[in-house]
Amino acid sequence: MLIENLKTALEALYGNRLRTLLTLLGVVIGVFAVTTTVSLGQIATAGITGEIQAFGAQSLFVIPESSHPEGVPFTDADIDALSRLPIEILRQRSTRVWANAGEERVRLNVVGTTANAPRIDRSIELDRGRFFDERDEQAAAQVIVLSADAAEEFFGSGPALGRELMLETSGGNRSFYTVIGVKKRVGGALGAFANDVSGDVPLESLYRDVSGVPRDRYDFLPITIALDRDAGAIERQVRAILDRRRDPESYQVQSIEGALSLFNTITVILQALLGGIGAISLVVGGIGILNIMLVSVTERTREIGLRKALGAQPRTILQQFLIEAVVLTVIGGVLGVLLSIAVLWTVVALVPFLDVFVLDPWIIALALFVSVATGVAFGVWPARRAAALSPIEALRYE
Amino acid sequence: MATETVIVARGLRKVYVLGGGVEVHALRGLDLEVRRGEYAAIMGPSGSGKSTLLQILGCLDAPTDGSYRLAGDEVADLDEAALAGIRNRRIGFVFQSYNLLPRATAVDNVALPLLYRGVPPRERRALALDALERVGLADRVHHRPNELSGGQRQRVAIARALATEPDILLADEPTGNLDSTTGQEILALFDALHREGRTILIVTHEQDVAEHCERIIRIFDGQVAASEVVAARRRPDAGVAGC
Repeated sequence: MLIENLKTALEALYGNRLRTLLTLLGVVIGVFAVTTTVSLGQIATAGITGEIQAFGAQSLFVIPESSHPEGVPFTDADIDALSRLPIEILRQRSTRVWANAGEERVRLNVVGTTANAPRIDRSIELDRGRFFDERDEQAAAQVIVLSADAAEEFFGSGPALGRELMLETSGGNRSFYTVIGVKKRVGGALGAFANDVSGDVPLESLYRDVSGVPRDRYDFLPITIALDRDAGAIERQVRAILDRRRDPESYQVQSIEGALSLFNTITVILQALLGGIGAISLVVGGIGILNIMLVSVTERTREIGLRKALGAQPRTILQQFLIEAVVLTVIGGVLGVLLSIAVLWTVVALVPFLDVFVLDPWIIALALFVSVATGVAFGVWPARRAAALSPIEALRYE
Repeated sequence: MATETVIVARGLRKVYVLGGGVEVHALRGLDLEVRRGEYAAIMGPSGSGKSTLLQILGCLDAPTDGSYRLAGDEVADLDEAALAGIRNRRIGFVFQSYNLLPRATAVDNVALPLLYRGVPPRERRALALDALERVGLADRVHHRPNELSGGQRQRVAIARALATEPDILLADEPTGNLDSTTGQEILALFDALHREGRTILIVTHEQDVAEHCERIIRIFDGQVAASEVVAARRRPDAGVAGC
């Protein structure tokens, strides 16, 4: 009888294809909405945390407090004092100049820095060529490492390595720099801030060739701490050294850990929000399924009356509707999950800063469970109600 | 003549409660006996309770009060599962509006009660085809109801009622939705089934339909008002008339 009834149920589903499709659609949308909203949230969260962690947790930024009268830039003497600690400090100055390459004349952010910059600033990665080394630094060589955006501005898709840039400064000075490297574009969520039209040159070259960049003034100090060191202890030592040299209120020490914990707070809020949205879509999806099952089974009250009049046992009828509901919700649920996976993959592939695909099996299980449970409950309950009527009452149902 | 009584109804009452607590008494203590092999018409004006009576006799509805014995079994004592068995095995019901499954073919419609009896698929199909042939629809077995005329749909419904070889065949205004020519064809089919020895009860409000039967049971105000024997006329086997 079960096999016969399975056949009956499938025939009923196939017989009324439009109703079957609409019911399926209800289930698909319910499951899809839940899985996709929750997973998108998790993907976004994973993308952001991944980015922050990639920048390295063991970093400090020391910046002067600009509102404080003694909040002046740091000096080489400050850096030398801090150099006793097991840390690396990046000396870095920058200014904007006009730069020319052939016909192209572009405003360029020239950054004077040291050869150890790629070790300290983890966002620096070379796409082509090389970064300048200690020899270039000592010689104050006229070499420049362009950002990906700058290379494109000047040379388009053509080769950039070995080409010359002419830098103009306010004094009318002109100097020629050879491109020795092109950096990779900074990917991910932080790329929006990190990518710009810029070029890195040795610090000494900047001082010599570009006017208006006084020596011995650093607007901020990026510090890298070896991963096996206690960042908290180092931070206290940095403060102790600087406090002897200037007013403790005149500067700030910021750590990536601090930023990270802020991000973590945001992430928790974000996840709570997305959980809320997920719960709402679960309820909405559930109500959608409830609605379509209730309507489609209630409108078949006459059919149930007829089957009873022909001698169907109530449990046979319930079994048929149970099978129909299970088949519909399971197929709909699986289609909804597949659709969700397809959409999430597309989003991850197309949106640059979402690059981690997350699909929590618990979310799938919850979405499937709720849709199958509501589908079965509201597919069988009205059928049960109809089967409890006398056949003639059910047949009279309008 | 020692003929078995297949239906014995005593003091049947049926009260419908409408909205607002209004009670409608469709049957008011009705008594009825029907012998096996009898061919009887139930007549009466609208609202006299004739359809209600037929539905109770077909176990499609339960009486509010009274006793109904079908082939010796007191129907009120049966549970839902046993009632389903009775509807399936002993009763063939023909509705005025056919009540076919719209998306199933003629043969699938006819086979449906056999499915609920647990007949295996192959045998079910053979029996259904056989029943369709008896009502003259051997060439329409794979048509759906909407591809059939009204008369053909009613034939499918009759074939469905016949397929289970029931004790009694109950028809509620079987020609009510049909033109007179088609109606005559359907009645001829009932006449033929009667000659095969089936017990047939037809509810009708048309005198000429009723005159196909051996007996006319007249219902008025929820009770049997009269039981008339129809004079033997057209039927070759009319001599069996009793009562």
